[in-house]
Amino acid sequence: MAIVNENSKTEKAFDIFNVIFMILLCIAFIYPVLNVLAISLSGSAPILRGEVTFYPKDLDFSGYKNVLGNSHIWRSYANTIFVAGVGCVLSLAMTCLAAYPMAFGDFYGKKLYSYMILFTMWFSGGLIPTYLVMTKLNLIDSHWALILNFLCAPYYVIVLKSFFQSIPDSLIESAKLDGANDFVCMIKIVLPLSKPALATIALWIIVAHWNDFIGPLMYLNKRSLYTLQVLLNDIVLQASGAMYEMSDAVQAGDGSMTIPQQVQNAVIFASMVPMLIIYPFVQKYFVKGVMLGSVKG
Amino acid sequence: MKRRKNKQAKEPIDFQIVKRRIWRDRYMYLMVLPVLTYFIIFKYLPMWWLRIAFYDYKILKGFSGSKFVGLDNFRVFLSNPDFLQILWNTLWLNILNLAFVFTAPILFALLLNELSHRRFKKTVQTISYLPHFLSMVVVTSMITTFLSPSLGVLNGIIKSMGGETIHFLGQPKYFRSIMTISGIWQGVGWGSIIYLSALSGIDQEQYEAAVVDGASRFQQIRHITFPGMQGTIVIMLILQIGNLLSVGFEKVYLLQNAQNMGVSEVLSTYVYKMGMQNSNYSLATAVGLFNSIISFALVLFANHMSKKYSDSGLI
Repeated sequence: MAIVNENSKTEKAFDIFNVIFMILLCIAFIYPVLNVLAISLSGSAPILRGEVTFYPKDLDFSGYKNVLGNSHIWRSYANTIFVAGVGCVLSLAMTCLAAYPMAFGDFYGKKLYSYMILFTMWFSGGLIPTYLVMTKLNLIDSHWALILNFLCAPYYVIVLKSFFQSIPDSLIESAKLDGANDFVCMIKIVLPLSKPALATIALWIIVAHWNDFIGPLMYLNKRSLYTLQVLLNDIVLQASGAMYEMSDAVQAGDGSMTIPQQVQNAVIFASMVPMLIIYPFVQKYFVKGVMLGSVKG
Repeated sequence: MKRRKNKQAKEPIDFQIVKRRIWRDRYMYLMVLPVLTYFIIFKYLPMWWLRIAFYDYKILKGFSGSKFVGLDNFRVFLSNPDFLQILWNTLWLNILNLAFVFTAPILFALLLNELSHRRFKKTVQTISYLPHFLSMVVVTSMITTFLSPSLGVLNGIIKSMGGETIHFLGQPKYFRSIMTISGIWQGVGWGSIIYLSALSGIDQEQYEAAVVDGASRFQQIRHITFPGMQGTIVIMLILQIGNLLSVGFEKVYLLQNAQNMGVSEVLSTYVYKMGMQNSNYSLATAVGLFNSIISFALVLFANHMSKKYSDSGLI
C-alpha cells in the first residue's frame, strides 16, 4: 500500500472515508443473507408489514418446522448431495487423468490432445445439441446427465496442469528408473504433492454442482429427482409451494394463493447453509486456485 | 538441392523408434483414452449434431426423415425484427457489464489495498466473497424480496420519504440496472482477488522511493499501484471481449417476467425457449450456432490482441 503522510489532512480524511465505505460495503454483502434468516424466523404479521430487517420479530419457528417435516425437501437435499458428491469424486479423477499427460507427457499426439481439450473451452455444441445427445444416450431424468455434463471442465484441467508443472520432472524420472509406470507416478508422487490444488478443484466442483440451476432445469422432469435449486425455484419464485405440500397456502395481497414468507425463506436458508458453513474455511483454497488459473496455461 | 532437403526432413522417421516410443508411452495413452472418449461423446458429438441447424429436424423422424433446408433457419431468425431486439438486449447487458461489473473489482482492489489494518482488510475480503457462493436462484429471490412493492426494504424507504411504491421488476426500464447492480454485488469481491494478487507483487521500496521524492499518497496510487495491475487489467479486458455475446442464462431467465420481456430476452434464453419449450430444435440450434461462431471469432480476435500486447496468447 501507499505510504501515508501523517501530516496531510486530506489523506487522513481519505483513510476515514475508506474505512467507513468498507464497513458499509460489508453490511451490503451480509444484509440480504441476514434478511432471509430474519424473515424465516419471524411471525407473519411483521413480515407482511415489511418490518423485518436483519433480526427476527415475533420469533416463530413454523417455517423450519415446515421445512424439516417436508419429505420433498429432504429428498431434494439427498439428490443434491448425491450429484455433488459423486460428481466431485468422478470429476476429480477425470481431471487428474486429463491433466497428467498434458503436464508430463512427451508422446505422439500430445499437441492434438491438448488442443482437443482446449478447443471445447472456446467452442461448443451448445444447449440444444447437447440436450439431444443426452436424449439419445437415454440420460434424461437421470442424475448422471448432470454429473457427466460436467465431468471434465477444460478450465480445471488447465489449473491442475499448471500446478503439476511446478512439480520437478526429476522426481518422476527417478521413479520411472525404479520401474514405476505413469499410474504409479501419478498416485504415489504427483497427487500427494498436489493436495492444495486438488482441494481447490474439488470444492469448485461441489459449489458448481450445488448451485447449478440450468442443468437440472433441462435434464430433470420428475419431481422426485429434483435438486435443491430447481425445487427452490418452484417454491420461491414460481410460488407453487402448494405442489410440495409445503404448508397451508395463504391469501396474498393480490388475491393469489401463496405459501407464507417465513416458509419460503426457511427453504432458501436451508439450501445455503452448507455453502455458508464451508466458504469461510475454504475461501483461501479458492483464492489460491484463482491465482493458479491466472498463470497462463 | 531441393531434393536433398526433402530427404533430410524425412529421414528421422524411423518406424522402429516410433514403435518404441509408443510402447514406452503406453500408460500415457491409457490415461488419454478415457478422457478423449469422454470429450468425443459429450463435447464433440454435440458439435456434430450442430448440423440440425441446416435441417428441418423432427426428433421422431431422425435425420433421414428430416428435410435439409440449407440456410433457411438462419434466414428465418435474421429477418425477424424480434431477433434484432434480442441481439441488442444481449449486447446492452454486456456493455453495462463491461462498464460497471468489470471495473468495480479494480476500484475495490485499489481501496482494499489502502487499508492499513491487516485483520480488517482480511475480514472485509472474506465477507466480500460471500455473494459468490450463493446460487442464482437464491440471489434472484433476494432481489425479488428486496425490491418487492409490499415487503421490500427499498420501497419501505421510498414510502417513508413520502414517495410512491415502485414495482421495480415489473417495469422494463429498471431491468438493466437491476442486472448490473446485482452483478456488481455478486462479483466485486471475488473479481478483486486477481488484482490484489497482482498488487502483492509490487515492491514496497518503490513507495519509499516515491515518498523521498515527495509523492503524495494519491500520486503513489496513480503512478505505482495502478500501473502495477495494468497488465492484469488488459488481460481480463481481452478475456471479457470474448464473452461479449454471452450473458449468463440463469439470472436473466429467473428475473424475466411478462412485463420486462422486451428488454430481458437475450440469446441464451431465446435458444432455451425455442428449443426446450417450443421443441423447435433446428431453429434454436441455428441461433445457438450463430452465437457460438461470433463468440469464437471474438475469442480469436482477443487472442490476437493479447499476442500483440503481451507476446503471449491466451489460447
